Parts: sequence; C-alpha cells; structure tokens
Amino acid sequence: MTSASAVVRLRGVGRRFAGHDAVLDLDLSVQPGERVALLGPSGAGKSTLLAMLNGSLPATSGTVEVLGADVGALNPARLRTLQRRIGLVSQRLDLIDQVRVLHNVNAGRLGRWPTWRALASLVVARPDGEVQEALDRVGLGWAAYERTERLSGGERQRVAIARLLVQRPELVLADEPVSSLDPGRAAEILGLLRAAAQGSAFVVSLHQPELARQHCTRAVGLLDGCLAFDVPVAELDDVRLAELYALT
Amino acid sequence: MTQQLDRDVDTTRHSETRRPGVRVTAGTVRRRRLVALLLVVLPLAWAGERAVSGGTGLVNWNGLRLLDDLLATALSPALAPEFLRVVLDGAVVTVAFAAVGTFGALLIGAVGGLVLSDVAWSHRPPALVRLARLLLRGLLVAARSIHELVWALLLVSVLGLDPLVGVLAIAIPFGAQTAKVFGETLDGVPEGPLQALRSSGARTVPAMAYALLPGAVPLLLSYSFYRFECAIRSAVLLGVVGLGGLGQELVVSLQSRNWDEVWTLVAAVLLVSAVVDLWSTRVRADMAVVSCADWSPGQEGAPQARRGERSRLARWSVLVGVAGLAAAWFASGVSLAGLTSERTRELTGRLVTDLWPPQLPLGGWAALIDSVADTIAMALLAMAIAVLVTLLVGPWATRARTGPAGGTRGLRRLLDTLAWLGARLLLLVLRSVPPTVWAIVALLALFPGILPGALALGLYTGGILGRLVAEAWESIDTRARDALLHSGVSRPVTAVAAVTPPSAHHLLTYTLYRFEICVRDTAVVGVVGAAGLGRLLAENLAVFRFPVVTTILIASFGVSLATELLGRRLRHAIRA
Repeated sequence: MTSASAVVRLRGVGRRFAGHDAVLDLDLSVQPGERVALLGPSGAGKSTLLAMLNGSLPATSGTVEVLGADVGALNPARLRTLQRRIGLVSQRLDLIDQVRVLHNVNAGRLGRWPTWRALASLVVARPDGEVQEALDRVGLGWAAYERTERLSGGERQRVAIARLLVQRPELVLADEPVSSLDPGRAAEILGLLRAAAQGSAFVVSLHQPELARQHCTRAVGLLDGCLAFDVPVAELDDVRLAELYALT
Repeated sequence: MTQQLDRDVDTTRHSETRRPGVRVTAGTVRRRRLVALLLVVLPLAWAGERAVSGGTGLVNWNGLRLLDDLLATALSPALAPEFLRVVLDGAVVTVAFAAVGTFGALLIGAVGGLVLSDVAWSHRPPALVRLARLLLRGLLVAARSIHELVWALLLVSVLGLDPLVGVLAIAIPFGAQTAKVFGETLDGVPEGPLQALRSSGARTVPAMAYALLPGAVPLLLSYSFYRFECAIRSAVLLGVVGLGGLGQELVVSLQSRNWDEVWTLVAAVLLVSAVVDLWSTRVRADMAVVSCADWSPGQEGAPQARRGERSRLARWSVLVGVAGLAAAWFASGVSLAGLTSERTRELTGRLVTDLWPPQLPLGGWAALIDSVADTIAMALLAMAIAVLVTLLVGPWATRARTGPAGGTRGLRRLLDTLAWLGARLLLLVLRSVPPTVWAIVALLALFPGILPGALALGLYTGGILGRLVAEAWESIDTRARDALLHSGVSRPVTAVAAVTPPSAHHLLTYTLYRFEICVRDTAVVGVVGAAGLGRLLAENLAVFRFPVVTTILIASFGVSLATELLGRRLRHAIRA
C-alpha cells in the first residue's frame, strides 16, 4: 500500500496547553485496514492525540492529515464534512439519556441529514432498516424504543457502537472504550468496535496490553507526549511495556 | 413580585468550599454572633423609630369603623348576577393578561437565554457577540430591577390604557428574568453529548436540539408554568393602573366602599390563584422540579430534572396551555398595532426627551434621601412582619414526617391534616391578595406612612416566605433526627437539637433573599400612597414631571443593586 493513501498522517505534530506539551513533535501514519492500539500511562497524551485526529482539537504545531485532508487548513463547514467520516467513541459514551435509544442511534447520521430532517427526527422517528440493522448487530434489536437512561452500562456501550455503525465512518477512534469493563465484556465490546471499523482504520487507546495483542495489528506507545515505540503487536514485549509504565 | 424567587441558583454552588487558611475558633463564633445580632437589632430599631415618629398620629380611629364595616360583610358577599358577570369578565381579563404576558416573557427568555448561554457559543463567543452579550446583560438587569407596576405606569404614558400595556408590563421584566434562568438551564445540561455530536460533524442547530433539549425541556417547561403562576399575581396587581381585570374591580370597589363586592372579588382572586397554583405545582412535581424552592438558594446545586419519564399531565397541560393562549390572545384584545402607530412613536420620542436630563424632586436631595430611607425602613419592617407570619404559620404548614416510632393515627392525624390545610390556605390568601389591596385596607385604619406600607407588604411577603420556608422544612433530611431518636433522646430535645438548626438556616437564607425582592416591591404599596420611592414616583408621574421620574428610577435601581450585593455578601457569610 502506498503512503499516499494513508488514512492518518502526522508530521511533527505538537499540542501545547498553557505552557505544558501534551503531545510533542509526533510523526505517525496509519494505513487503511490497520488497527492501532495506543498504549501509555495516564497523561501520556493519548486523548489529546485522538482529539486532534478527530479535528475537534487543533494542533499547535505540525500538520495533521486525516483521510487526505489537512485538518488545520479546513474551514468549519469542510471540517464538519470531514468529521462525518470519522467515528469517535469516548469512555463516557456521551449518550443523550432522556431520549429513546433510536434517537441516540440516529445521532450518528445527523451530519448527513439536512437541518429540517434532523429536527423533525427528534419529534417523529421510527427505526428504519439501517437503525434496526445496527441495533441487531450489537444485540439490541429489541431496544429501539427503550429510554436510554434505563439501559445497563453494557447496553449503553452497545448503543454507542450502534450509533457508530450508522455513521459508517472511514476511520474509527476510540478513547479508552473498555477501561471500566470486566475482561469478558471488554473483549466483546472491542470485537464489536473492530467489526464496526471493518475495512476502515481503527485507532484505540487501551490500558490492557493483552487486548492490544488480541484485537490490534500495531501497538504505539506514548510517553510524556512523545513516541516511545511503534511496533507490530507481535513485537510488543514486556521490556517495552515495563519502560512505558515505569515498572522497573 | 416573585420573579426573583429563582435568581441565584449559582450562589449555592460554591457553598462546599472552605476558605483555605481561615480557622474558625470560639472567638470567631462569638464575634460573628455579635455582628449578626447588631445586624438584626440596629436596622429594625432604626426602622421602627422612623415609622412611628412621623409627626402625625398613627391610627386613624375613624377609619377603624370602616374596617369594621368591611369585616361585617364578610359573610354576605355581593352575589347579584350582573355583578358576578363583572367578576367573571374581570377574571378572564386577568388570566388573559397573565397568559399572553407569560408567552411574551418566554419568547424574550428563549432568545435572550440562547444568546446568554455559553454552550450556544461553544464557550468561545466572537468579540462582537461578547460585546452584544454584555449590553444585553446590562439591559436585562435594568429591565428586571424595575417593578411590573412601574413598567405599567411608564408604558401607560406612552401607549395609553391599551391592553398591550398589561401584557408588556409582565412580559418585559419576566422575560429578562426568564432569559437568565433559561441561559443557566442550558448551560447546566451535561455537555458530553453535544461535543460528541459536533465531533461527528453534525450542524450546530440540530446538534444543540438533539443534545440539549431533551435534558432541558422539563426544566424549561416547569419554569414556564411557575412564571405563569407569578404572572397571575402580577396581572391582578396591574389592575391598579386601570388596565382592567380583577385588580381594577377590587380597587374600585374598595375606594367606593362597596365592601360586599370586595369580598366577592377577593374570593375570585383566591380561586383563580389557587387553581393556577395547584395546576402549576402538580405539573412541576410530575415533570421534574418538585417545588418552586428548587429555583431558590438554600438548595444544593442547580436544578436537575429528577424524572426522565414523560408525564401525561405535563403533555396535556402543554396542549391546554397552547389552546388557552390562543383564546387569551383574543380575550385580551391585544393588538400590536399600538406599538407602531404614529401617536406612540411621537409619545415615545417625547417621553425619551422628557426623561433626560434627570432632575431632583421638589425638596432636592433631602426629599430624595428621605424617600430612600423610607423605602428601606418599610422593607425592613415588612420583612420583620413576614418572618413573624412565617414563624407563626410555617410550622403548621409543614407536613409532619413520620419518624422511626411510626406516624400518628386516627383523629390526631385528621387534626394534623386539617391544620396543615388551614395554614396553607392562610398563606395562599396572604400572598394572593395583591399587596396594593392590603395597603388600601391598611390605609383605612392607619395614616399614610411607612407603617401601613410595611404591614401590607409584610402580610403579602409572609404568604410567600411562609410557603417557601415550609416547603424547605418539609425537605429537611430526617436522618440526623432519626439517629437521635434511635439513641433514646426524647422528642422535644431532638426537635431542638436536630431540627432547629437546619430550619433556622432555611428561614435565614430565604429571609435575606426575599428582603431583596421586598425592597423592590415597596414600589407597589408606594403607588397607592403608603410611602417611599414608589409614592414619590406615582406623585411625579401623575403630574408628568418626567425628569424627576428618571432620578427616582435611578435611585430605585441603586437601592435594589445595593441590597442585592449586600444580600449576596451576607448569604455567603452565613455559609462560611
């Protein structure tokens, strides 16, 4: 695969917050079909990096290229168009609690809809084929009319993935999607996320190296905003991890 | 009136933080107690002295006979069909003014709230918007610092006795208040979903509708109903200016001493207020916000919707509200033509040029300062009366909660319920009869001055304070009390040890809070001739001395602002 078709390409990217560098001079590229695990201790810059990849946080230096566009050079309307192609799931899920599940799934394609349709869908909406299929895929086919706040933690996680599915993203970003889950549940959710990212690229920040080995193709270690390592998961060994988490 | 009930939701948020480096010792406590005592005793003594040293007598002995006549007709109200027809028409006009006025306030509030909220601008409003917001904020503060009645007086001099005056006089100050609350409500909704939607490329308007409205709508609706409840009281009050409705009929009957009609009208006012109060309370309880106390300080944090379930009552209420609004629009006979007419433009132009530059009233600075002092003294005494009313009626209006020893049964329980109903009804009467009417009645027995004004305002404020405090008392956490009872402490001692401190705290916070509103409300009783800035204003408006009116408005604004700042400071201090 040529580097021209890279989904993500970072060159000398940095982000400064009030005198402190969250990310410093980072070079990174991700090819289509790759599944990248971001590893590193809390505060290493994983969330900052993901926010920059999504375009919701501008880089303070360097260039961020995502899906062929220079994120920093886009006007707001163009940025929105780009963001519609990027799916982002955070640990908080950010679901709207007070509405029915189908609205939260619809939220994934809000960007594709004209304003009037988006507003109308808040009042009159029924699960069409796409929404029902997405809910079926995450095992929540029965829940379209459930009120979101009534679902359990695991079910809410699945709603967030169904939202991602209807968005049909070309790049899936996930910020610690499984850090509050037990191991069994975590593997299940990662499997669903991976399936949602089928054919596109997937970047996920994780705290568990085993999950990275199972679900990803590549491991990127971040330490104090800098690249610590960037290896295929097969080469992810205990020495590297010990260095990363300062376990020695 | 009560529009300030809800103002400072934000002041409670930093109540938990203890100032670092400040240690509370026995000495601090003693010093604080002394300061608090002086803060209560000295102003009250000053106000009392000022009220009784007017030079003239206090009690008008001839007027007492009139009062006697008034009471004598209590059991024989006017029930002639043609008079009942007048009452019904008056009630329709009052409700219509309140409904259309509330609708106007909601429009102003929705637009203003969006502009004022930070979340609508993603916390980074452009420079031009920031400037506009600053201006808008100042405008809204000024708009709500002027009492509805004063708005009505000012608007009458431009629009004449147009129904539009009644609507605008409610819509403008209420809208200013609503804008503030709506803005804060929008900012209080968790922002994660909005960020998630925006980061997936959704446009601003649908993203905000999806992420903010579901969380905010129950609160906004609750608040709208609460506003309507307040608007009814204001609409009755505005009758004094001559705009029609129950208030006007009341004042006319009082002044022509048709006592039997007064009683019929008072009953009508009570009925309308009670129905709207009950409706609004039920809807709010069903939807999200349990009592209007949720909108006041003394409660922890900003109001949050408690129940996500959609209430059927709320839905029906919204439908009825919309239909009722359309009916009210026709019933009130409001037309916006008055706003754009040639005459209005001319009069507005003249009013604006007349208002500036400000001039001192007759008697110069001394007269102005005298009026300010009268206003403050009146508010202080009124508050003392209100606290007295609350202390006497409040405990009865608080529904007793069952302790670990089990509730009371049988006859005792029935009596408790009756006492509760009676106390609540008394408070409803006190706050529903407009303070102007209380003032006119008080002026029958007392010579014009601070005292009748304070009495009228005190009874009215007592009705509001009593309800607020009783509702707060009902919400007091019973765990501390139960723990004491479980450890074998007797009931009376438990009451003193575990129930009194939080009760006193609620009473204190609400008293400080209502005091700020009370200062503003003095305008109302002033207009019918009690004393203070309100009276000065009414006198000068009557002879079209507009430059003086400007001065008085500025003075009222200054007094309101000063009390508000002082109140905030004191509320903060009692939390430390």
